[in-house]
Amino acid sequence: MTRPLVIATPGGDAHRVGSGLAAELLELPDPTGISGWDEAVALEAWRAAHGADEQHDEVVVMVQAAPPQRADAVALDPSDWFGRAERPLAMWVAALGVAVGRVAEGGTIVAVVDQPGPLDSTGWAAEAAVADAVEALIRSLAKSEGPTRNVRVNLVTTPRLLVAGPVSPAPPLDGFPGTLDQVIAATRMLLAGEDSVVTGSVVHADAGRDYR
Amino acid sequence: MTPVVVVTGASGGVGRGIALACAEAGWTVWVAARREDVGTDVAREVDAAGGHGRFVRCDTGDERSVISAIDAVVERDGRLDGLVHNATSGLSPRPVRFAELTMSDWQDHIAVSLRGAWLLARAAHRHLAESAGSYVMLTSEAGFEGKARLAPYAAVKAAQRGFARALAREWGPDGIRVNCLAPLAMTPAMEQAFALDPAMEARVTERIPLGRVGDTVGDIGPVARFLLSPDSRFVTGNTLMVDGGSCPIS
Repeated sequence: MTRPLVIATPGGDAHRVGSGLAAELLELPDPTGISGWDEAVALEAWRAAHGADEQHDEVVVMVQAAPPQRADAVALDPSDWFGRAERPLAMWVAALGVAVGRVAEGGTIVAVVDQPGPLDSTGWAAEAAVADAVEALIRSLAKSEGPTRNVRVNLVTTPRLLVAGPVSPAPPLDGFPGTLDQVIAATRMLLAGEDSVVTGSVVHADAGRDYR
Repeated sequence: MTPVVVVTGASGGVGRGIALACAEAGWTVWVAARREDVGTDVAREVDAAGGHGRFVRCDTGDERSVISAIDAVVERDGRLDGLVHNATSGLSPRPVRFAELTMSDWQDHIAVSLRGAWLLARAAHRHLAESAGSYVMLTSEAGFEGKARLAPYAAVKAAQRGFARALAREWGPDGIRVNCLAPLAMTPAMEQAFALDPAMEARVTERIPLGRVGDTVGDIGPVARFLLSPDSRFVTGNTLMVDGGSCPIS
């Protein structure tokens, strides 16, 4: 059994997640150096450089940004929009591309995305779009990697970076929006179980706030 | 007053079907597309179907093009009641291995579908607020389920749903409704996908309880017209599956 691999944006929670899972850490390029698609193209080279290295049974992917301020979608300028929507999507594709290359046959990938739930998405349209896109990417990878390599691919969503409680109505469980340790616990649950048949699933680690 | 609506990507497929369904109600329909020749042909079909057809060039991923298109509509007709974002990347039906997806292709998917949804929202917001109008985005069951070889398409279609849900909350106080429609219909893109993967047609059809792929004008168009009309005045933040039951999301 290899150590888990955590692929994550620099800074943020990557190191805590890595240590929480006793994992090896692979950092994505600094997103502040990517201000447009001309720079985003460089992510292809990063993917190629890291996608064929040592394989791992468990791979975790986290693309995070500094908590954004709420802003109506129509108030964003193109630079804001790129930074909040398109750059994260470019980074997710690069990170998941490496994850697909680094996960061993029979292994599992868990992605962790910050997702504003339906009741909390005002001012976070870009972030809501990114999170839903990641859901579809995870389900697509579950379908492409399962039949050929028996790889499971699942997703944990968290409102942790986006919502500071309290919210109304109150979620069923106390402690919303939760802690990083709770996110790690949900991630560990999906990583565990060699005989698991759970794939393409989404776990909302949000104290029950998201009713979907 | 005759409603004025804009449909992007209306030079063919689902967009054309929606344009013609709106025409049957006598509406003014702006066919917004990159190709003027085929777009103008559809505008003529709108006229023939009982509506008022107009063409406007629009590249949904380009800010200036989008602003120019919406300005042209309002300048000519004085109002905007409905907006349908149907355009997708020409790469949408092309299968790709995920690890080989280029950033250039990924950008193209994002630009047309997602950036386009946002740019159209920015350009149309005040006009839709004045008319208490409706914004409809065309998504796909792929956005719910994912697709093994069409991951970028699935992702941008899902992204539109997340964007629409948030926008519905932001625009509700302005009286604007925002919804998605997920069609399953025979389109040129679908025909192309079937041609690239011949077994796909049987796979698609056998999971549809109603036993057939939908028709763009007769099956999809009227539902889009409903979402654009005041009949749906209390519907917002939703995705309507118009797929014969293929993707049982409820």
